[in-house]
Amino acid sequence: MIEVVNLHKSFGDLKVLKGVNTKIEKQEVVCVIGASGSGKSTFLRCLNLLEEPDDGEIYIDGVSLLEHKKDINRLRQKVGMVFQQFNLFPHMTVMENITLAPIKLKGMRKSEAEEKAMELLHKVGLPDKNDQYPNHLSGGQKQRVAIARALAMDPEIMLFDEPTSALDPEMVGEVLNVMKQLANEGMTMVVVTHEMGFAREVGDRIMFMDEGIIFEEGPPEQIFKNPQKERTREFLGKVL
Amino acid sequence: MNSIIKVLSDAIYYNLIREQRYMLFVQGLGISLQLTFYSAIIGTILGLFLALAKLSKIKIFERLATIYVDVIRGTPVVVQLVIIYYAILGSSSLPKIAVASIAFGLNSGAYVCELIRAGIMAVDKGQMEAARSLGFSYSQAMTYIIIPQAVKNILPALVNEFIVLLKETAIAGYIALDDLTRAGNIIRGRTFDAYTPFILVAAIYLYITTILTWMLGKLERRLRESD
Repeated sequence: MIEVVNLHKSFGDLKVLKGVNTKIEKQEVVCVIGASGSGKSTFLRCLNLLEEPDDGEIYIDGVSLLEHKKDINRLRQKVGMVFQQFNLFPHMTVMENITLAPIKLKGMRKSEAEEKAMELLHKVGLPDKNDQYPNHLSGGQKQRVAIARALAMDPEIMLFDEPTSALDPEMVGEVLNVMKQLANEGMTMVVVTHEMGFAREVGDRIMFMDEGIIFEEGPPEQIFKNPQKERTREFLGKVL
Repeated sequence: MNSIIKVLSDAIYYNLIREQRYMLFVQGLGISLQLTFYSAIIGTILGLFLALAKLSKIKIFERLATIYVDVIRGTPVVVQLVIIYYAILGSSSLPKIAVASIAFGLNSGAYVCELIRAGIMAVDKGQMEAARSLGFSYSQAMTYIIIPQAVKNILPALVNEFIVLLKETAIAGYIALDDLTRAGNIIRGRTFDAYTPFILVAAIYLYITTILTWMLGKLERRLRESD
């Protein structure tokens, strides 16, 4: 579904990605772990071209992203994204946050979009928050709304950029539960995370990034119980 | 004591009442307010386009807007006014107030541009990313997400710019437009009294700007409450 070939990205003199290669299959849940500065967020942000790679190729369903930059707005509709800082639109209610894109981009009727939004709010456990403004929600609630907003576009794949890192510890669980449910429903997901418990339980594959490449990858049992590389062992030793 | 009252009543009689001279102030104030209003409209629209040009990724737009803003902000407004009146629009049949509105509008646009640009840049960049990640184009993201939020940042500064603009229009007399300040000057020419008419002029400006500043304060409180 997504194929990444030899992806390179620099910020000025700093080489962040130095040749990332991977394939992500439909319905797969890939958890990307690694130290800060290892390039995992940059990698994720390249997948919907929020960062433009310097070199390499990204194919979504066989279509090259970099050759179809003109269609990027349409391609991005297939790729939902959830951010560390939620990035809800503060001047809109929860309902408006969720329905804006389907109405404006898919030409959905307002009533239809609102009906769908209510379904999504039920799904993320916030059916009574539709009239609230984001500033009146807790961090965990904001992030669940952000997930609903991304889902409203019916994406084929969801990208999560450290979705629980800005949350108070007691709110991490509610967000991870929603994500777990999503994974169980067969959503294709790429999750950059520091939540090793979640990665181990929900991930089909763990990607350990270091020095701008995928240093080691494999099923959770292998990465967490029997990492092949010294670097991976060292990192896991620090975080587990 | 009597002599002070005599001096004051004479001053009021000669500067305001004789030949209905107060009408000069009333009409002058009308001209000043109209001029400020039209200039503010021209300046705000121009400023918005300049700001979008300055933020644009198209280099030539950005460069041209930058040059415009630098030239306008680097030269005195009174010089711009006389250039536009005598050199550029000198042969046109536009009324003076239109010429002055254009001149002040072109000037104000450069300042408004910077206000709007700062207001847009103050919106968290995650907002643009979130909008783009949903599939909105840059201009859709600006329209639905960024500008509505930027307005809150910009409005108070914009009202303040209008207050500045009202005071700046006091130089409209340079092109013989009978604004409030020039009304004072005309009366001075007839009464040979410099104090009374100009102190009255100053008092009227102060009165208007005080009202506007009070409204600005209310507006700022309203905007803060809705956060």
